Amino acid sequence: MKVTIEPPPGEGEPLAPLHRRLGWFIGLALASAAATAVVAYALRALLV
Amino acid sequence: MSFDAELLGRLQFAFTIAFHIIFPSFTIGLASFLAVLEGLWLLSGREAFRNLYLFWIKIFALSFGMGVVSGVVMSYEIGTNWSVFSRVASPVIGPLLAFEVLTAFFLEASFLGVMLFGWKRVGPRLHFLATVLVALGTLTSAFWIISANSWMQHPTGFTTLPDGSLLATDWMQVIFSPTFPSRLAHMSLAAYLTTALVVGAASAWTLLKDRSQPESRLALRMAIGMFAIVAPLQLLAGHESGKVVLEHQPLKTAAIEAYWESAPNQPQSLIGLPDRSAAKTHFELAIPGIGNVVQGVPRDRVLQGLDAFPRDDWPVVGLVYWAFRIMVGLGLAMIGLGVWGVVLIARKRLEDSTWFLRAAVAMGPAGFVAVIAGWIVAEVGRQPWTIYGVLRTADSASPVGAGQVSASLLAFIVIYAIVFSAGAIYILRLIAKGPALETEAPPDAEGRAPGTPLAAVPPEPEA
Repeated sequence: MKVTIEPPPGEGEPLAPLHRRLGWFIGLALASAAATAVVAYALRALLV
Repeated sequence: MSFDAELLGRLQFAFTIAFHIIFPSFTIGLASFLAVLEGLWLLSGREAFRNLYLFWIKIFALSFGMGVVSGVVMSYEIGTNWSVFSRVASPVIGPLLAFEVLTAFFLEASFLGVMLFGWKRVGPRLHFLATVLVALGTLTSAFWIISANSWMQHPTGFTTLPDGSLLATDWMQVIFSPTFPSRLAHMSLAAYLTTALVVGAASAWTLLKDRSQPESRLALRMAIGMFAIVAPLQLLAGHESGKVVLEHQPLKTAAIEAYWESAPNQPQSLIGLPDRSAAKTHFELAIPGIGNVVQGVPRDRVLQGLDAFPRDDWPVVGLVYWAFRIMVGLGLAMIGLGVWGVVLIARKRLEDSTWFLRAAVAMGPAGFVAVIAGWIVAEVGRQPWTIYGVLRTADSASPVGAGQVSASLLAFIVIYAIVFSAGAIYILRLIAKGPALETEAPPDAEGRAPGTPLAAVPPEPEA
């Protein structure tokens, strides 16, 4: 099966330090929001 | 009846919104279900919860995407087909919809990225936080949309300016209009029920093929727990919502119950064929004298009939009457399914009952049908007004020709038939596969899935 959605870390797999995980958390959220904004502005530019 | 721009615009909006509501009514409940699954996995460490999460998150992502696409269409449609409504109502409605985007949609869109692509990167606890925020976002979205719609059902906290446009004078009255609390509760519970029915149907489908599939056994029990508790609660919420409608939109109640004449102790019509032109219900099966009890009002109170209102203001009585009965009938069937499931669980015979599993599969789409029927009651029952008592539907339409609206309606039908059919078929295929695939071992280092022909090929020796 092709994995497209990231599964959780395996049992015993070490986690990255908290600051790096928080960085990913904020970074992924901002990147997702930015992607949404790009689509929204593109639609607006296309239609207005 | 002539197919003018107004009627075609109404048909177009009905078509697009009926497609759209399918997705949020599913994703609101599914987001919360995912949060519960992930929380239980973190607490218990039980792999079945994780596997169910990985199975349903794909379906959530697809449904969320289709919900967004079908929702964007309606925003533009309001501008193109209902420009007078937009001009008059946007100072009040506009901010509510903007709040929905700013508070709910961005919350969902932002943290969906973490949910899908960040589990290893952010770790289990931050990932759980992202799932909870997405679930919160879906509920917040429901809050603002129901708020805007409730204001259109019973507008409060505004004034009319000399040019006819509306201006909010009290935002709290606008947001929390009288019909809002009961309608928000009714819609939120409907979303949870819809999701529980789909989860139950998917699990029952898998169990019909393999009675021992552990994830499906667990998910079916969770779904039964939901409709055993939520379906009776929904009956109470619906009753409360009906009482609010009676107070603020008695004409809608008269159409729902086919009260043709005002009287105390109206009969409770069970089924029949309402005839708007003859102002009577043909072949009616009714229980006499219990209307006031059903409506929850004193026995001597006169319940207004359709005769108390100008005939031009009557909605399409037959449609409202039957949509309501379909919604209530399905709701009662959901309660029955919940009771049946609880009895089977208590007797430890759940997976043995082929008839229950078949019934659960058959009830899978019932939530969607009930939601659409409920919205038909709410929206068709409000006619001929877009903003009840303030702006008529006939005065809300854009100055466009029937040809333009029919062309866009035709385009919508064709595009929706292709895009959403493909999406729905893909989701159904994912559901049909069941969660068993999530329990398979991950691909090996060279990306070859176990059980495939490639997996039998020995790895290349290192140079």
